Amino acid sequence: MSALLQIKDLDVSFMTYGYRSHILKSVSLEVPEGGRVALIGETGSGKSVTSKAVLGTLPDNATVEGGSIRFAGDDLLNLPQSKRDTLKGTAFSIIMQDPLSSFNPVFRIGRHLDDVIYFADRRLGEKSDAANRRQRIHTVLRQVQLADPERICRAYPSQLSGGMRQRVLIALALLHQPKLLIADEPGTALDVTTQDEIMKLINRLVSDNGLTLLMITHNLGVVRKMADDIYVMRKGEIVEHGPLATIFQTPQQAYTKQLIAAIPPLYGPKVVDQKPVEAETVIELAAVSKVFEERFLFTRGAGHTAVRDVSLKIRRGEIFGLAGESGSGKTTVARMIMGLIRPSSGQVVVDGRDVSQAGRDGAFRRKIQIVYQNPGTSLNPKRTVGQTLTVPLQFSGGGRGALNERIEKLLAQVELPAHFTSKYPHELSGGQKQRVAIARALAADPEILVLDEPTSALDVSVQKNVIDLLHRLRDELGLTFLFISHDLSLMRNFCSQIAIMLKGEIVEAGEPRTVFGDPQHPYTRALIAAVPVMSDAEDNLKPKTSRKDQQQYLADAVT
Amino acid sequence: MSAVAGSEPKALSAGYMAWYRFSRNPAALIGALMVISVILLAIFAPLIAPYPDDVGAKVDFRSRHMAPDWAHWMGTDKVGRDILTRVIFGFRVSLLLVIGVLGVAVPVGAVLGMLAGYFSGAVEKIISGFTNVMLAIPPLVMALAIGNVLEPNLVNAMLAITFLWWTWHARLVYRVSKSIAAEDYIEAARLAGASHWHILTREILPNCVSVISVKTTLDAAFVILFGATLSFLGLGVKPPTPDLGTMVADGRQFLPEMWWGVLGPGFAIFYATLGFNLLGDGLRDMFDVEV
Repeated sequence: MSALLQIKDLDVSFMTYGYRSHILKSVSLEVPEGGRVALIGETGSGKSVTSKAVLGTLPDNATVEGGSIRFAGDDLLNLPQSKRDTLKGTAFSIIMQDPLSSFNPVFRIGRHLDDVIYFADRRLGEKSDAANRRQRIHTVLRQVQLADPERICRAYPSQLSGGMRQRVLIALALLHQPKLLIADEPGTALDVTTQDEIMKLINRLVSDNGLTLLMITHNLGVVRKMADDIYVMRKGEIVEHGPLATIFQTPQQAYTKQLIAAIPPLYGPKVVDQKPVEAETVIELAAVSKVFEERFLFTRGAGHTAVRDVSLKIRRGEIFGLAGESGSGKTTVARMIMGLIRPSSGQVVVDGRDVSQAGRDGAFRRKIQIVYQNPGTSLNPKRTVGQTLTVPLQFSGGGRGALNERIEKLLAQVELPAHFTSKYPHELSGGQKQRVAIARALAADPEILVLDEPTSALDVSVQKNVIDLLHRLRDELGLTFLFISHDLSLMRNFCSQIAIMLKGEIVEAGEPRTVFGDPQHPYTRALIAAVPVMSDAEDNLKPKTSRKDQQQYLADAVT
Repeated sequence: MSAVAGSEPKALSAGYMAWYRFSRNPAALIGALMVISVILLAIFAPLIAPYPDDVGAKVDFRSRHMAPDWAHWMGTDKVGRDILTRVIFGFRVSLLLVIGVLGVAVPVGAVLGMLAGYFSGAVEKIISGFTNVMLAIPPLVMALAIGNVLEPNLVNAMLAITFLWWTWHARLVYRVSKSIAAEDYIEAARLAGASHWHILTREILPNCVSVISVKTTLDAAFVILFGATLSFLGLGVKPPTPDLGTMVADGRQFLPEMWWGVLGPGFAIFYATLGFNLLGDGLRDMFDVEV
């Protein structure tokens, strides 16, 4: 097997605001013809820059300082620009990451595909008429398992589901039968079930059409299913590479070990069971429903039922997990518990009081605090850490000195140094920002913390630290957690109770051990089966799910 | 793991990044210099202007309608006054107008916009409804109406323009603060027990400052232009106070033979307007905001 793509000692630097930063440091990488190679690493490790260097789409402020990129024998960096442009989309193409923002919302899907094929043909110097192009588009759409190409072509991007858009993006990359397919985190923006389907699809396309795959991802579970060779990247350097099995079983570098250890197991001896809690009920929902009404100017529009007849009990000190795909109503339930929206029917009782009766009772409101999913948007960019923390502390009394003392104590609780008080959010990393957000929630002296996917925007290794921190805080402060997530392997280890939501209803609930050990509802089985895991042993322990169940419950399952 | 030292992307301060963007924009720098020169000319007009006596109602028929030469760079007007002197003093009137109008219109617009953007429901409907009604009135027609009712002078011109101008700021700040009000950190502040006053002044306002300052700078250009239009139509400053718009109107009577009568003041309007516009554009790129 010869190498189709060979990167040797590639050095790339960026000029930003007059400073030069060295982003890629002698990166060497080989993708054999017909092979599947994964490039893994955390945010900012240089994975995407590497793929852009191959594609020739580096931004203007980037310079290739040294090294070579050879593709099928050609030295890409020394090819004339026009020659290099013809390779784009034909010799290699990329599957984009974000299925929503990759489309122009005002053009139909067919137009997007046609444009790509038309300009690529022109670059190749081929003439093609509209009918011929349309036929080719339809063929490719069928390849990515979109059954009705005619309808897809006529649709606007907003009319397709996330999974369908991701398929169209794959189709875009396949239009000119490239030899090398670069996949930049495909499906990460989607639900696990959809992601699972997309992974299977890419794998099939690669093996059926004899493509070569370069996969860029941070998800090790995905890597296991989609790659033969792995390159681990950190801070612009390849720190370790080798065949999949070797890296997974006997990682050499501490960083790789850390990455692998950070993945929570779904099954097997390493799974941690959280002890169920025996205490009084602190949150109780009785037959709660929420209907969002779309109101037009004068008429009453159709109602959309976000939550239907949900009843649940959360005991004090518990970590209650609410799982489900996006749009299943998890966040709506949490917002009703927090009193931010009122239920259409049913009753929400927190600490013995009906939330909708509590009104503007500030002290009662502060009992429940929230940690948001995205620490980038949950901290005010114009306010320092100290200022952010001061707001909830104002109510605890004490003078200026006491306030500073409290801030320092809070920062210590979330394991941040005291001098962080004067820092602005943009000076902090994602994990540090999330710690500040946790400190802000703690500052109000809450009893209940709603955690709305608190780790999904963080890198895996940081995720583990934040989860450990949350555990410690619960034990020290006696908090109750409502944990909203779609990351089932994390919930398996972190929660003491779990409820699975589907289309606004709770379909299954109980201790994680029983729910994962013997799932009753077919949706739960399908959901668990889709979670990417780290070993075959775990794969074998997953519940069996039938194609029929998947089609019934999962939005994007295709035959 | 090999050690990597000192090569991480540097964490730069927001101020440095903004200044870097601004300083790499030659148009913005030129605009800033133009604006500074206008301001300095206005402040030190009595010291800089070659014939400070020509500001008032001086009449010197011997030197009327003189073409530009070394003694009078912009020529003289119909009663023999140095146009350059009057242009330099004219900047004072223009800047006073800018300060008067924007000093009232911007805070009023910003406060109303923030209230409408933060509070939903009746407050939002009333403020944005009223703003929309105001925006539907053609500004020149409105100003002419006010100018005709009230006596034409600087203060009334200011009033007329201010009366219309706050709407644009209300609109802009409304849009910005509405999107900020939907951010997680606003909800978090509310959950932490923060008052409306705190949220408006400490959480939302700091995020609006950049957009307001860009809009205000760009507005300065339009206020100068609008003020000149009003006085050109005879609704602005009364003679003999030197005003750029009035001077253009005066010079117009003697076109095309005495072309310098409109060229000097016309160029001054152009210069000040362009300066504020370039500076505003530069600030917009620097703060990376949309106005």
